[in-house]
Amino acid sequence: MAKAKASQAAADSKQGQPGAIEGIPQPKFDWAGRSNQWGTRVKPGKHGLRLGDLNVGIYGEIPEYWPDQTRNPRGAIARKGVPPVGYSIRDKAGLWADSAADLYEEAIQRRWAPATDVPWETIKPLNEGLERAICQVCTELCQYANGDIEAISSWQHQMSYGYHEVKQFLATASFDGARQYEAFRKRALCNGGGLGLEGPGKVNRMILESRGGWSEAVTYLFLLRGTFTMTMLRYLERAAYNDAERFLYRHTLQDKARHLTYGLEHLQYAIAHQEDMALIMQQLMFIGDRIFAREMRDNVLREALAVIFAGGIEKAGSEGMAVYREMMTDFMETYLGHCSWLGVKRNLEMMPQVLTQYVTRA
Amino acid sequence: MAEFPSVAWFEAVAGVFNSDESYRGAGGGQCHCQAGIKVGKRVFLLVFEGFECAEVREVDVSELEPVDFYLEMPLKDWKAMVQDIAANGAASLHYTLNTLDLNREAGLSHSVHGDQYREDLFFRYNQTFQFFFDASARIKTTFAR
Repeated sequence: MAKAKASQAAADSKQGQPGAIEGIPQPKFDWAGRSNQWGTRVKPGKHGLRLGDLNVGIYGEIPEYWPDQTRNPRGAIARKGVPPVGYSIRDKAGLWADSAADLYEEAIQRRWAPATDVPWETIKPLNEGLERAICQVCTELCQYANGDIEAISSWQHQMSYGYHEVKQFLATASFDGARQYEAFRKRALCNGGGLGLEGPGKVNRMILESRGGWSEAVTYLFLLRGTFTMTMLRYLERAAYNDAERFLYRHTLQDKARHLTYGLEHLQYAIAHQEDMALIMQQLMFIGDRIFAREMRDNVLREALAVIFAGGIEKAGSEGMAVYREMMTDFMETYLGHCSWLGVKRNLEMMPQVLTQYVTRA
Repeated sequence: MAEFPSVAWFEAVAGVFNSDESYRGAGGGQCHCQAGIKVGKRVFLLVFEGFECAEVREVDVSELEPVDFYLEMPLKDWKAMVQDIAANGAASLHYTLNTLDLNREAGLSHSVHGDQYREDLFFRYNQTFQFFFDASARIKTTFAR
């Protein structure tokens, strides 16, 4: 029916239209009726009309390699002569995760607004040592968020549109970074404190300077630092001093869990589709662990966390550091567990002692 | 009035949870998973679909195998959590699911299959599960002996 109407419109235009205005080009409607697949009627399911639901017919054909170098939406008719954009990631193995469309929907669904959703009024004055420690951790979490945004956006424009599910999910991950920055900056500036000392930033630099491909960046950004941040947020939630902090840590944790899911699934996909990817990851982690360990030698974050875990400076050296140790043990167990799940062999003897000191189970 | 643990109790909580739209925003949202709840030797299966807890069943322990993850504590610890929620209207700082997971020697969240992707649903949907148990503050609970 629609095709017939379009054809009629095109025929009308050839004959000229009544009321045409001189000097204004007559519409030709010669674009109408052109589609690689017309008549598509995707219906909303019980969970609404989701991005992944649209993958029907040719619109759901996601090839292993995407040769198109333009911003042509997948399934549309390519226009000839469009200058290439120069996307470097055109292999599905370089970015894909089957869950990307669902994770995009999940991110949109589970959005939260720091300005109005966080019960800021529950934050009461704390002792100065504790407030300084919380502000220091918030400062470093802001810095992590800055790194996340830059790393994701610096790769995103290199990903071809054949894999728009991943590009869209990563747009939400980038926004999650912006919200993390906003939320922790607000926490630092709302209770008589202020931002503290800039962190060493070695891991941020490593993530941003990883040039071997998006999978390499994913290894460092989501698998290594993401797992560490998630573990830290879990311990911070447990040590929260009010409902506002608890909300911040728990919601950021939920966002980070989504990123980790993408990261793990993508790396699993990459390993399954690229012969030596597991070996490459082994090498990448060998390098990444060292830089991460160098950052962990910095005492600032460690001590600030210990103060938070101990409720103040007084017991930070004993009780606080014991909880920090517990946190790092959990982190290493989770991190090595992820590597094992991916089938990436790790040799503890080759890992820095700064990290292996926390490994309690082989 | 419903006794914990029982299908009737979980259904009563699901009734509150499913009908309160405030649980759908502020970090909540659609949730698609199967979660097991192990209270001592008794096991309950909760099926979450979209915005709702769509199904509650008491099952045999062998049926934990296909669930995405399950939460396990002895009755006395579940009781402490449910009582804390009832007293405060929501879990206090010491009784959030995350804190319980960290504080317990063996953790709270487990899986039979060991599939990382599915285990991580506990974190991805954490706010939804917290909202679910927080909804129990609005029903009167008695406890099995």
